[in-house]
Amino acid sequence: MKEYLQAKDLSFSYSKRKVLDKLTFSVKEGELVGVAGPNGAGKSTLLHLLAGLITPGGGEIIIGGKEARFLSRRMWSKKVAVVFQEVPQNLDLTSQEVVTMGRFPHLGRWQREREVDEEKVFWAMKITSTTVFSDRLFSELSGGEKQRVMIARALAQEPELLLLDEPTSHLDVLHQLEIMDILLDLRAGGVAIVSVFHDLNLVSQFCDKALLLKEGRMLSFGRVEEVMRAEEVEKLFGVEFLETTHPFSLRPFFMPLRKIKNETHRGRIHLICGGGSGSPLMRELLEAGFSLSLGVVNQLDSDEELARKLGIPVVQEKPFSPFSPSTMEEAYRLAQKADFIVIAPTYWGRGNLPNLDLAERLVRENKVVLILKEALDSRFDYTEGEAHKKLERIIEEGGEVIEDLSTYFSSPSS
Amino acid sequence: MSIKNKKRLIYPGLLILVLGSIFLAQGFGGGRYQISDSLSLFSSSTLSPSERIILFEIRLPRVILSFLVGGSLSLGGAALQGVFQNPLVDPYVLGISSGAALGAVIAILSGVYLGFFTIPLFAFSMALFSAFLVFHLGKVGKKFPLEVLLLAGIGVGFFFSALVSLGMFLAGEDLHQLIFWTMGGFWNSSWREVKMVLPFLIVGLPVLVSFSRELNAFLLGEKVAESLGVEVEKVKKWLLLVVSLLVASAVAVSGVIGFVGLVVPHLVRLLGIRDHRHLLPFSFLLGGGVLLWADTLARTILNPVELPVGIITNLLGVPFFIYLLQKRKKNP
Repeated sequence: MKEYLQAKDLSFSYSKRKVLDKLTFSVKEGELVGVAGPNGAGKSTLLHLLAGLITPGGGEIIIGGKEARFLSRRMWSKKVAVVFQEVPQNLDLTSQEVVTMGRFPHLGRWQREREVDEEKVFWAMKITSTTVFSDRLFSELSGGEKQRVMIARALAQEPELLLLDEPTSHLDVLHQLEIMDILLDLRAGGVAIVSVFHDLNLVSQFCDKALLLKEGRMLSFGRVEEVMRAEEVEKLFGVEFLETTHPFSLRPFFMPLRKIKNETHRGRIHLICGGGSGSPLMRELLEAGFSLSLGVVNQLDSDEELARKLGIPVVQEKPFSPFSPSTMEEAYRLAQKADFIVIAPTYWGRGNLPNLDLAERLVRENKVVLILKEALDSRFDYTEGEAHKKLERIIEEGGEVIEDLSTYFSSPSS
Repeated sequence: MSIKNKKRLIYPGLLILVLGSIFLAQGFGGGRYQISDSLSLFSSSTLSPSERIILFEIRLPRVILSFLVGGSLSLGGAALQGVFQNPLVDPYVLGISSGAALGAVIAILSGVYLGFFTIPLFAFSMALFSAFLVFHLGKVGKKFPLEVLLLAGIGVGFFFSALVSLGMFLAGEDLHQLIFWTMGGFWNSSWREVKMVLPFLIVGLPVLVSFSRELNAFLLGEKVAESLGVEVEKVKKWLLLVVSLLVASAVAVSGVIGFVGLVVPHLVRLLGIRDHRHLLPFSFLLGGGVLLWADTLARTILNPVELPVGIITNLLGVPFFIYLLQKRKKNP
């Protein structure tokens, strides 16, 4: 497939503020390019430039091999159609009349609609499944139906390049997928498509290429599999993402985790937990700006899984196995680096008792060991009091029993 | 399919109604209706010279002029409502009416006499002057943002109205003439006024209709229209220019007649016609018919006194309009 759209060093400024800075990319026929980026990155401006609605401040656009600045408005509209984010309100025209407006660039001032125009309108409505409400007033349609009619209107222009600005925003999942299906159909028909998406995963699931924009600059452009990596989208949005693989498409799928904070480092905590007792603490402590380490926990333990996803260093033991001395040694080395040791309310059994020995060893070495008060409750003890005895010993050696972590760390004494 | 058939019938129907109206209106005079006066349109050989003058030099041009002025105002209103995408816009939004009134005030008070056409000429020139002033004030760079244009029109309109009021205050014995002019009417109509309005319509109507598809595209918003290939700013300029000329010519011969240009396009829309290819010619025909009958009423209802037609249009038109709105609210 050949290149249909090329942008070279494309720039745009709005009253001295650079909105877009030297974008260079190209789109082939039958290629779907997704544009993603935070609010104010210049995504809509980019579409306006490609649609010829505003004039670039620098660089050039080549459409179908021709320099676009020499195209007349009408010629431009014959090649490029746009679906805007907002749909017209209070429009008392039937859907079919709205779609027929897409024939505008193909008709002369005094020309009536020809048979071929009616055919194109029919085709556009068929491909968007809007034929059923062709006689209904546009103002009476639902949001998803309106958006499909606006897409049909754009298709009636017979565009070689279709531009869409967040075509799926405000739509529910089913309608989002319907829109994506339409785009994939068009792509198969050889139309070049550039679409802005609010949802990162729509780009990673459906697009061939991704164009990542941040503050008017192109962060990256390329095939989705190459460009869309967790570290890249983290840079894009300033949010930590968990990257997994979508089970059906086998493409990257992103889950936002939390805001990346630039807070001062508040210290390191080694968490002794297991069976889910650490999960709420991990989130709380990370948010508060601490760095964490964890262990020992068994593999497949929910705390272990979460820690791994959050990128927290964990010392693991094989599933359902008692902690071996070598693992304990490893945990000791990791915990030594921490400023605090925190013991979460965890169920104690023969298997994980060595964790308490670890805490005792550390408290003897004058590490600050904090025991959440709830952890002392006897219902957690499945060792006939042995765990309780160990906890008592830790307290004797200087371990501190606290109500909860946030009060402890927010009080001035700490 | 029934809608399409209805549309096919409605044009000849409306045309027959208009011609019939002209025929009937020609029969009204001196407070009564005489079929013989209407029939004289077809055979005038039996008329006495004075009857001939009354029927063909006074009554007929007046009937036709009221039709043409009503048509021009409604057509202008429909086109401007389309450009501004605002149904509350009337053809005077560009300050044309107050400009024309100021022109008439200047002509009457200054006592300048440039022949029979002095007042219409002054009114026409000042109407266009105010329109261009509004364009100039409403221009931002190379564009005409609609809100700015609208505000400029309101501002210029108020300023000129203030000058008109000042003129009236200082008018002395000319006050009567001024008041009559600002109320609008067809007292002194002759074929000369018809000849003044007609060329603007002959050019303006087809030009405006030729912009129907652009006006339809405007319904989707300026941005979408532009993406469809409409050269928005160019089209706006052309439409505003043509409407200004059309409305200025109408105001110049009739004074300021309210309501018709605002409400008639609404009535047409209430009939379910929104496509400008039909909305514009419909508004023209209906507006012409409405003003024709309003004027017929104005000159017969209080015989021998004549009412300014503007009073009739407002008195009858607005309640009718409110009635239609209520009806539409109940079953949209």
